[in-house]
Amino acid sequence: MDFTTFVKPTNGGSGDADAGIQELQFCKHVKYIENHGKQEDDYEYCMTEFLRMSGIYWGVTALDIMGQLDRLERKHIIEFVKRCQCSTTGGFAPCEGHDPHMLYTLSAVQILCTYDALNEIDCEAVVRFIVGLQQPDGSFFGDKWGEVDTRFSFCAVATLTLLKRMEQTIDIDKAVQFIMSCCNQTDGGFGSKPGAESHAGLIYCCVGFLSLTHRLHLLDVDKLGWWLCERQLGSGGLNGRPEKLPDVCYSWWVLSSLTIMGRLHWISSEKLQQFILSCQDAETGGFSDRTGNMPDIFHTLFGIGGLSLLGHSGLKAINPTLCMPQYIVDRLAIKPQILSRP
Amino acid sequence: MHGRVKVRTTEEERERKKKEHALKVRAYRAAMGRILKKRDAGELDDEMLGLTVQILHRNPDVTTLWNIRRECVLEKIKQLSEAEAESNKSDEVQAEAGAEEKPAAPEDKLQSVYGQELNVTEQCLMVNPKSYNAWHHRCWTLEQNPQADWQREVQLCNKYLKYDERNFHTWDFRRFVTAKAAVPAEQELDFCTEKIKVNFSNYSSWHHRSLLLPTLYPNEQRDRPMSEEKLQQELEMVLTAAFTDPNDSSAWFYQRWLLGGGAQADQAPKVVAFRMGVTGAVIAFKKPCPDFEQLKVELSSNEDSWQLQSWQPADSRRTTWKNQTPIDYQKDRSYSLKLSEQEIKLLPLPTGDGAFYFVPPHAASSCSKELLDELQTQLQSCFDLLEYEPDSKWTLLTSALLMRAIDATANHERSLEHLVELEKVDALRKGYYKDLAACWTLELELAKWATSIKFPKRFELTSESALTSLPYGQYLAIADELELSEELKEELGDRLPQTFAELKLQE
Repeated sequence: MDFTTFVKPTNGGSGDADAGIQELQFCKHVKYIENHGKQEDDYEYCMTEFLRMSGIYWGVTALDIMGQLDRLERKHIIEFVKRCQCSTTGGFAPCEGHDPHMLYTLSAVQILCTYDALNEIDCEAVVRFIVGLQQPDGSFFGDKWGEVDTRFSFCAVATLTLLKRMEQTIDIDKAVQFIMSCCNQTDGGFGSKPGAESHAGLIYCCVGFLSLTHRLHLLDVDKLGWWLCERQLGSGGLNGRPEKLPDVCYSWWVLSSLTIMGRLHWISSEKLQQFILSCQDAETGGFSDRTGNMPDIFHTLFGIGGLSLLGHSGLKAINPTLCMPQYIVDRLAIKPQILSRP
Repeated sequence: MHGRVKVRTTEEERERKKKEHALKVRAYRAAMGRILKKRDAGELDDEMLGLTVQILHRNPDVTTLWNIRRECVLEKIKQLSEAEAESNKSDEVQAEAGAEEKPAAPEDKLQSVYGQELNVTEQCLMVNPKSYNAWHHRCWTLEQNPQADWQREVQLCNKYLKYDERNFHTWDFRRFVTAKAAVPAEQELDFCTEKIKVNFSNYSSWHHRSLLLPTLYPNEQRDRPMSEEKLQQELEMVLTAAFTDPNDSSAWFYQRWLLGGGAQADQAPKVVAFRMGVTGAVIAFKKPCPDFEQLKVELSSNEDSWQLQSWQPADSRRTTWKNQTPIDYQKDRSYSLKLSEQEIKLLPLPTGDGAFYFVPPHAASSCSKELLDELQTQLQSCFDLLEYEPDSKWTLLTSALLMRAIDATANHERSLEHLVELEKVDALRKGYYKDLAACWTLELELAKWATSIKFPKRFELTSESALTSLPYGQYLAIADELELSEELKEELGDRLPQTFAELKLQE
């Protein structure tokens, strides 16, 4: 398939004021993702098998956003996902031989939604897995070993939303109470547990959680929005906490949170776009965390996703809450809450 | 994968790396294969612990291997307790037989099982101090052990925070173990002070501090984060920190929190505007109130009372609600409104065709003389610094906030000037400063409106500065006419607030 038709110049070819801006290395990124994992004996690939399910979700989603989903073997991927569902608990493992976990359960369900293949698995077993991990205080364990984290609250409601089983399964009010108990008075942000320092990645999880449960009114948008827009640094990139380095993945966490809160106009989109494009690897394709570093599949999704949220041409729209193509979210008739501008 | 710089390598170097990687892959596969086979066979023994640690030392993020270790630990605990039960039984037998010798205490063996797990996590944290899995395993092990030495864990945190004072995992662990060790909050506050003295640029430490102060020095009215006396001391301390390096944001964030309104205790939805007439009623809240339909709203006059039912949202955020059922308003009666434990006295409209209630946003908290003096001193220090560094972003913003804390109305124009300046020196956040200017402007405009002769039927934006947003739009729900610039109306589009006049009776 000839996909060069998807490649469009970033600024309509006029190139006047933005002459120095890099263009999106569309073909190279497609190749990078396509080749990722073709060499099974690759060291990096082998060492990251403990998160394989998420790795596939990152690749599938990035390719779909680029309109190139058919470059991967749908059938093989679905078969792999099916093999990872635990017959006892109903949760998903990152790959065969590993244990099921909330993180990989969301990734598995996201992959199946993208492929419109939820009917291939036992969805009721997934619901049971998630319901079983909710605790009396409303929080969620990641698996039976008891780690509590707001990331798992997000995974739980996102998975149930995609399965359309949020109602009458978990205790939503309790789950909301737990999330709000992790909100910090100082900056309006959230950490991984009550009392934990605010962190952009966990803010995304909590803002996304409130978007899925339609409780965004509980946020102090002015306070949190200010802290988030202060993450943008001179390079245009965003960091995850004050006085830290910028990073493509934090750029996504902050950007999506600001979008959900209707405050995208509080940062410079133009500068952020420049930063993300500067993190492309022009030789191998893929995005790295920062300019000049090694690319990986994780930052590749968040680079592509960030550009999509910023309206880069040639990319499909992405949903800021679920980090999935908008057309899939529409197909499922899911409407995460989004606030309007003031 | 974070922070791995891409380096150019020679062909030779690449070959060497490739061979090394191939060996590592083979070793990983072999160990992993053996582990899974043993697990299937239920062999949760010392060999298993040895195999898992080989991989975890290199890669502490393989969750399943930690799970297997936990299975091994539980198995060992089970075996030890069985052995103990067994030996107790034989003790009894021996006691009866008159023997005196005792076997090795199982408690020591148990402690060495826990000790080994703590050692493994410590080794793994050396490799990756941000491994969620290693930290969790440490917490899990400690929780299993009724004899856990929590004091030792506090010491470990002190050590780790010396290596990296911003590692949020260490701070989270610290909060966990200090609670277990019952470390007094005062002592933790001293620890924070020490940390901040070593390095002011430590947002994590300021954060930890912000959790301790409101409980150690509570503010009765809850309109400030802590008692006024303590607040004054904190303001002094934080300004010293901020001035040490005015480009470092950590202290300035803390400063803005100190100047803010404290914990928002308003659980009940706070009514800010209400109006009723023959065509119905509108009600506006300070914050969105999406569950308003579930609240009981009662209108009363003398001995009579009526339930106001069937409300509909009047904006997308559900901050304003309307009711299009006709109300039989009698102008010679006085009315009040009751909802969720609030009773609101309504005022008659000057035109006699209804009643209303209104409270403008941002009523400034009262300030003691001492606190006011401190704020004045701080403002002067900021002005002094701006003399030398007129483009200092944080000083510009903080001085604007200080001016507003001292007297928002009198300093209105000047604080807006600072925001205009900030749009230039901090252009990335231009949109934020514009919206903040709109907030401050509306706060003043709404306060002025409440005392104007056209109140509450007509609202005119008297400000000269061009607004690009209309915060506090819900406060305008009681007006019939909004006099806004065409540009602003265009900008707002369908976000333009509905007026009372637009309230039509239901067919």
